[in-house]
Amino acid sequence: MEKLKEIINQIRYNKDLDDVKDLNKDLDLRNDLGLDSLDLAELTVRIEKEYGLDVFEDGIVLTIGEILDKLGKTNER
Amino acid sequence: MKDKLFFFNFHTDQIKSYGMLINETNEIKKVNKFIYSKDYYEIFLNIIASIINNLPITLLDYDLSEKEVKDLLPNENLDENYPLINRKIIVEENLCDLSAFSGDWELTLYTSGTTGIPKKVTHTFNNLARMVKVSAKHENDIWGLAYNPTHIAGLQVFFQALFNNNSIINLFGLKREDIHALIENHGITNISATPTFYRLLLPTKKKFEGVRSVASGGEKFDVKLKDQLKCVFPNAKIMNIYASTEVGSLFACDGDIFEIKKEFENLIKITDNEIYVHKNLLGKSDSFLLIGEWYCTGDQIEIVNENPFRFRIIGRRNEMINIGGYKVNPSEVEEVINSHPKVILSKVYSKTNSVLGNILIADIQKRNELDEKELRKFLLERLQAFKVPRIINFSKDFELTRTGKLKRT
Repeated sequence: MEKLKEIINQIRYNKDLDDVKDLNKDLDLRNDLGLDSLDLAELTVRIEKEYGLDVFEDGIVLTIGEILDKLGKTNER
Repeated sequence: MKDKLFFFNFHTDQIKSYGMLINETNEIKKVNKFIYSKDYYEIFLNIIASIINNLPITLLDYDLSEKEVKDLLPNENLDENYPLINRKIIVEENLCDLSAFSGDWELTLYTSGTTGIPKKVTHTFNNLARMVKVSAKHENDIWGLAYNPTHIAGLQVFFQALFNNNSIINLFGLKREDIHALIENHGITNISATPTFYRLLLPTKKKFEGVRSVASGGEKFDVKLKDQLKCVFPNAKIMNIYASTEVGSLFACDGDIFEIKKEFENLIKITDNEIYVHKNLLGKSDSFLLIGEWYCTGDQIEIVNENPFRFRIIGRRNEMINIGGYKVNPSEVEEVINSHPKVILSKVYSKTNSVLGNILIADIQKRNELDEKELRKFLLERLQAFKVPRIINFSKDFELTRTGKLKRT
């Protein structure tokens, strides 16, 4: 989760958005985290680089929880 | 003239005068049908011998692997040669004009391209010598060779220098500091190279006042580079040349806006903003796809002025990258990145992406400290969001093609 937060904050930092302090699985990537489709494309590349898995491979992912599911890390928080 | 330097190669410390060139050409007893050598001088000797004896030859890049050569020429014996029984002899005066010997001489080479398999193209002497200018004005030119001589741009430098009896100093594949020293120590006056070659010469506080002519070709030229070249070569005329292996040189201008010369008026046309070249201007090749009598170059232009007709080249059609349905021209993005004062060189390309189909990536060589956020902000002020690379790698070195262009694959 920490690593994922770091990735999301990196993308937000580049967009001039404030860091997210508390990442939880209900957060919506677009509505809560302010990511557009270009950001999501970047997100999937960065996640793949870190975890070796393309989380958007089988279709669009909407929330942090869904990313964690794909990464098999739901129990972390 | 016999003592005049013909060729200097810093790599091998090879020094050859015009006298040696003439003697060694006249001593050749057989001409290789295929030239596959890393010795530039040997390549030049074989080309001259093949012209004066009117024998067709094929140039192969020395860095092609044996397997690649086998794939290109499955049924050929690379050691095949033409024994010269009644060989022709040249004297000094002949070197200014080999056209009298050339007859139906042909030279075959392979396009390197920035992608894909090399294409075979065969040129006549006239095609290769089309842009060569011989005059007293060029008598004291000293050429910096910044291209591989097995490629069309390198051949143009070779012919231009040879016919004016100029010295050629090899600059291809050398370190920046060595190139700077060679330009100064040999009093180089003319350089022809790719924009990438010039960008890699920078940054420098040096000024090469002896250089009178700087030609750029093979890749997209931009106005920022022109300004930088003006600083480094304050007395040089800066030329941007449009040429390709398929057609040789076609246009030249002093910035990035081209005109079609009168003599080519009926041989070049623009359809749907793409450049088409009449088959009469082309070399021969089985891989040319002609539409009627026209060859589509794939180079896209933007019209600057209708009458007189002026245009700017914006990129190649097959280079366009589709990002979520939007077309991005990587050359356009590179140009904007390169215009950042802290950037030396950039390469923009794509990677498949499950969200948008493709995602843009930029490899960047930077001059000073530059962070991703600062660069992105700069780009977003100048480009639509989908054209801004989302993955930025600051890298040290770039891989170049055999012709000194940025490698695209």
